[in-house]
Amino acid sequence: MLSTFLSHQRKSFWRSRNRGGSIAAQVVLGFFMLYFLAVAVGVGFGMTIFLPKIFPNQDILKSFNGIILYYFALDFLMRLQLQELPTLSVIPYLHLRIPKSKIINFLNVKALFSAFNLWPFFLFFPFIFIEIADEYGAFATIMYVVSILSITVFNNYLILYIKRKSITNVLYSLGGLILIAVFAALEYYKIISLMSASDYVFRAIAERPYLGFGFTLATVAVFYINSNFLTSNLYIEELGSKQEKKVSTDYAFLNRFGKVGELAALELKLIIRHKRPRNSVLMGFIFLFYGFLFYKQPMIDSDSFGRMIFAAIFMTGISIITYGQFMFGWQSAHFDGLLTNKINPKDFIKAKFLLFTIASIVITLLASFYGFMSPKLLLLHLAAFLYNIGFGTVMVLYFATLNYKRLEINKSASFNWQGVGATQWILGFPFILLPILVYVPFGIMDKPYWGLFAVGLFGLINLLMRGFWVNFITKRFEQQRYKIAEGFRE
Amino acid sequence: MILEVKNLKKVYGDKTVVNIEHIQIEQGETIGLVGNNGAGKTTFFRMILDLIRPTEGEILSKGENVMQSDNWKNYTASFLDEGFLIDYLTPEEYFTFIGSLNNLGVADVANYLTQYGEFFNGEILTSGKYIRDFSKGNQNKVGIAAALMQKPELLILDEPFANLDPTTQIRLKKLLKEFPGNMTTFISSHDLNHVTDVCSRIILVEKGKVIKDFKTDENTLKELESYFSA
Repeated sequence: MLSTFLSHQRKSFWRSRNRGGSIAAQVVLGFFMLYFLAVAVGVGFGMTIFLPKIFPNQDILKSFNGIILYYFALDFLMRLQLQELPTLSVIPYLHLRIPKSKIINFLNVKALFSAFNLWPFFLFFPFIFIEIADEYGAFATIMYVVSILSITVFNNYLILYIKRKSITNVLYSLGGLILIAVFAALEYYKIISLMSASDYVFRAIAERPYLGFGFTLATVAVFYINSNFLTSNLYIEELGSKQEKKVSTDYAFLNRFGKVGELAALELKLIIRHKRPRNSVLMGFIFLFYGFLFYKQPMIDSDSFGRMIFAAIFMTGISIITYGQFMFGWQSAHFDGLLTNKINPKDFIKAKFLLFTIASIVITLLASFYGFMSPKLLLLHLAAFLYNIGFGTVMVLYFATLNYKRLEINKSASFNWQGVGATQWILGFPFILLPILVYVPFGIMDKPYWGLFAVGLFGLINLLMRGFWVNFITKRFEQQRYKIAEGFRE
Repeated sequence: MILEVKNLKKVYGDKTVVNIEHIQIEQGETIGLVGNNGAGKTTFFRMILDLIRPTEGEILSKGENVMQSDNWKNYTASFLDEGFLIDYLTPEEYFTFIGSLNNLGVADVANYLTQYGEFFNGEILTSGKYIRDFSKGNQNKVGIAAALMQKPELLILDEPFANLDPTTQIRLKKLLKEFPGNMTTFISSHDLNHVTDVCSRIILVEKGKVIKDFKTDENTLKELESYFSA
């Protein structure tokens, strides 16, 4: 039976409607996995070298023991965000002559096929076999392996249980991340040490190896809790996420914009109430840290804005790019409704501009913490911001009129390639290259501030021309709408 | 005359889906569009609503080509399928939104909805669900009620009786027959009983062509039944 299920799964993948997209996604995902596995192997074997360097005044075994629980805490959070529930696929089997236990077995087995369950092997085992075996002997080594395996599987099923009970959302993960950061900080200031706790636990296992079975017991317990929960809740409506009561909302701050504000509010709800747009907007906040990678003190000191403008455009305009690249596609499910209703196309386009502008302002304000690095960066951000809302928005909306791909917005955003077409690939180049081209002549002449001024001015002029651009885009939209609507209906 | 169709043609590849020489629809008529699957009913409706570009010909709404002017939107309301609903809104939000497009305040909308208590059967309003979480039948109800709320002069519904429970079907018939004002109604349906009951004129299409176009009388139902059983 299990093999039948698995063969059906395979068919559902190969015969899925947007097979090209999902294969491409799998290939990319595969590369990422290989990459991370390679990294894990490297780190695993290198641990004997890295650990003394990172924690110089500490016994290497203590360092190793100390990072184990940290790793699994992070692992837990990553799974919370990324691991998918393998449930919906069983719905067609529920009413057939198949015992529940078999279906549950299938779900449990399928859940084990996750990259998260592979990493700990590569990460920890080399060190265990090299160092621990040397120090504590065979039995302790085996129990280390058993413990690591147990915690991995424990995390695996605990996440599924939590996800099934739907007590999860992005904020929890964010909170967890902050919690870990706080622990790390406490660790740094030597107030509370999770590392010592982790070390204490594993040292105990090293000395009394049978204690390792404690983890195994916990894992078995979670496995049974999860299976029991499934057995008693194997109903279609309970397999998905739990329904909470939905309430109507009103965004008062948008009301002042009249009909345009109305449409913007509509889209804001779309973003907040669907996984994919929500994730792509949240991604923008994560990219706020991009600057730490790109802005280097020597660059700032020498006013080399040309090398930093890319990051600035990207950070302040990320919401425009990630959300805008699929533009109109977000509304593909009810595009016909939008066209037949009494909506002025001009208002429709203006609403997009309004949303982009608000999002850019918010992100740019948040990014102003880079001002602590150097006030010059604020100037850079201002220029990038003006470019983004002045011209970036126009470009994105122009490309939007060429996008005929229906978008499924209830699926997760990471590695979701559904709805990705040529427009998404082309879009990024002019968006990023144009401001660099505007800047470069000034950079060569060694007039960096004039360069920033030029980029800002370019944006500002386009912002002042917005009336013209709105008309221009509206006209394009009017010409293209049949084609767009037709594509969205497929 | 509220609607005039002239030499309308829609071709996909080498297949002609719609090919209508001429139809005139007068104000206040109730017209049923009848035909088997693939007759081109929905494509025809989509062209009336300017959602599909005709290969040839034109559709005049109050004398204006629907492709060239948006004025038809001021007096036309429609519901073809769930693609017309903004499904991530609660019904209240959706009604309020549609209301605002037609310059109805929140209070107007709430006031309007009170008369639909019976039609909604207590399942739609304050249900704490998004529209996408409703059954198809209830989604239909939301779409139809939102269309009627706009007090349109021209109402276009694609298979409004499909997915509805018997009680609601009867209520909808009553609603369509007794709707106040001089509304022109254009519906398609596979249910010959309902369509002859509601409509004063039937247009029968097959493979994109108008086969028959006649006023209903007591023999209409039999006529249609014999046509379709042949």
